[in-house]
Amino acid sequence: MTRTINIHHLARVEGHGGIQVVIDGGQVSKVEFDVFEGIRLLEGLVRGRSLEDVTGIVSRICAICSHSHSITSLQAIEDALEIEVTPQTRKLRDLAYHGANIESHALHVFVLALPDLLGHPSVISLAGSNPKAVATALRLKKLGNTIQETIGGRAVHPVNYVIGGFGKLPSTDQLLALEKDLTAGLADCWSAIEVLRDIEVPDFVCAPIRCAALVPEDEAFFFGKSMELSDGGARQTIPVQDYRALTNEYLVPHSHAKRSAHDQRSYMVGALARLTLHGNRVDGLARKAWEELRLALPSTNILMNNIAQAVEMVYSVERALHLVQDLLRTGLAPESPPPYRVRAGRGTAATEAPRGTLFYSYEFDAEGRVAAADVITPTAQNLNHIEDQLRAAVQQGAEAGASDLMLEQRSAMIARAYDPCISCSVHLVRS
Amino acid sequence: MKPKIGIFGLSGCWGEQIVILNCEDQLLDIVGATEIVDFLGGSSVNDVESPLAIAFVEGSVANEREERQLRRIRERAGLVVACGTCACFGGIAAMDAEQPREQVICQVYGSGGPASAWDIRPHRPLADFVKVDVALPGCPMEKSEFLRATASLLNGDIPQLPAYPVCLECKMNESDCLLVSRGLPCAGPVTTAGCGARCPGYNVVCIGCRGPVEECNIISLQKILEEKELKAAEIKRKLRTFAAPALDRNERGGLA
Repeated sequence: MTRTINIHHLARVEGHGGIQVVIDGGQVSKVEFDVFEGIRLLEGLVRGRSLEDVTGIVSRICAICSHSHSITSLQAIEDALEIEVTPQTRKLRDLAYHGANIESHALHVFVLALPDLLGHPSVISLAGSNPKAVATALRLKKLGNTIQETIGGRAVHPVNYVIGGFGKLPSTDQLLALEKDLTAGLADCWSAIEVLRDIEVPDFVCAPIRCAALVPEDEAFFFGKSMELSDGGARQTIPVQDYRALTNEYLVPHSHAKRSAHDQRSYMVGALARLTLHGNRVDGLARKAWEELRLALPSTNILMNNIAQAVEMVYSVERALHLVQDLLRTGLAPESPPPYRVRAGRGTAATEAPRGTLFYSYEFDAEGRVAAADVITPTAQNLNHIEDQLRAAVQQGAEAGASDLMLEQRSAMIARAYDPCISCSVHLVRS
Repeated sequence: MKPKIGIFGLSGCWGEQIVILNCEDQLLDIVGATEIVDFLGGSSVNDVESPLAIAFVEGSVANEREERQLRRIRERAGLVVACGTCACFGGIAAMDAEQPREQVICQVYGSGGPASAWDIRPHRPLADFVKVDVALPGCPMEKSEFLRATASLLNGDIPQLPAYPVCLECKMNESDCLLVSRGLPCAGPVTTAGCGARCPGYNVVCIGCRGPVEECNIISLQKILEEKELKAAEIKRKLRTFAAPALDRNERGGLA
């Protein structure tokens, strides 16, 4: 007997994707996570554009990760031009990343994923029965956006990030306002944890999760120069410059996005991977949230990525408050971006975007025009892992006698747990 | 009965749906004043049949599936609002490239292989396929403009949108002119206002993300930039990043 689980258009994810799973005689014979988002060819289109223009274009790969795309692009350009940014610039970028993490995780956990866990079709319907939880989530989301607006000039597609620094530095008044908002945010974090604490995260899938994340090189959780990959108990590191040895991209017929595999096996990037590998850095209220939400790592339940995101959201509120207070204590030096000389070169950078590791690599000609661009997004790396988890979940569900409807709902929940960004994944690789 | 609305995304970055979700202070009011019946980005249960008072559509049309989807939305909706520069003007996926698209695809995916079977077309704005009632440009569209336009439409009014360039807002902000006093290639003179001249306020040039303003004089800006020793090809590419299809039709001032 053949059973087919078909989700034509996955709801509550960013972009256009579908799922097809076929079960033949009790065995899963086919799993496809289709990405049919229209192809935009951005990496091909930026060829010939100047290094000053390229960041404003690639930011448009994705709205919700636009701050990560902008800053990672700039860091790759700075690598090519051998520009060292100042510690102040680094702190402000770190702050922006925490803002992005708060906004992205609040959106995903509460607006896109929580309806699944509480049996609602949408956050709109959830707002009817649980208005307080939704209001708290929206306040946290707004807090993340306010940080991004303060540092980047705009919540979606920032304008203030330039090569070597910022167009304009935030004012002391703006930082004081952020300090006030972040302090209130800590209380909201706790209300959010109380909402999630009572939820039993389903455990219909049990499969090992191979994690990859940047090794944080200092205080900043999202910046680093080497990747770490877990393999059971063993860990290996790969320098960011050699990212292609990790990602090994290739193409499949059913998807407009390229795939990644290391040693022919899938891996995942994102909050769960970061906390599995570097969770020992998490302390304070976030550690308390970790315990309250019963996050046990390493986990074999991919749905725990939702919980890992919630813990990271709390961590980011605390870290952002710490950074703002630090900047207020030292005061902002009136720095301008350093002058640079345009020349030929190659530059590579990686950062931890909210959804996982994001790689940028450029090659420039002598006039500073893009000769080649390569962007590898978190979701593109996760696609194979999503299919592996779908295979495990459907196989385990079918063996336990789950109905087609249940298998369909579970498949959607699995895919959604990764917070996939399909717009991002169709970035179109390597020119 | 509350007006039914739908929110749709074609090919793009999801920016306008994020801007709508970023109206954190107004979201519950919008939900209270309307019935959001079809919003795949936000709900797993959607009414895909009933007529809509307003359809908000972001993104450009990249393939036949999206063209069919857009035509179906037009049939259902009393008003179609094009949200963002991709929907209004084609956006960056339609920008000028060094090489033809076919060549870019081969470079990216290799010739032959799975990619040769894909439906890949040039990205087009909504108005190339259906009648658009209101256009809210911007990459992304401005939250304030979206809220004002929605409030107007819900009250039966035609939204008032700026028909003047970014320069006017920049002067009102008393920002230093990046083009004249610093000699930087700013697209403010030919770009539709409504953003509050945000970028020049950050000492960063306007890159034209809101598309060309009505009756803009692109030739004149081109001359100013040539005097500043920018190469013609470079100027052309800069000014055709966000709205190349609209400029092709010479709707809003040609480019030599």
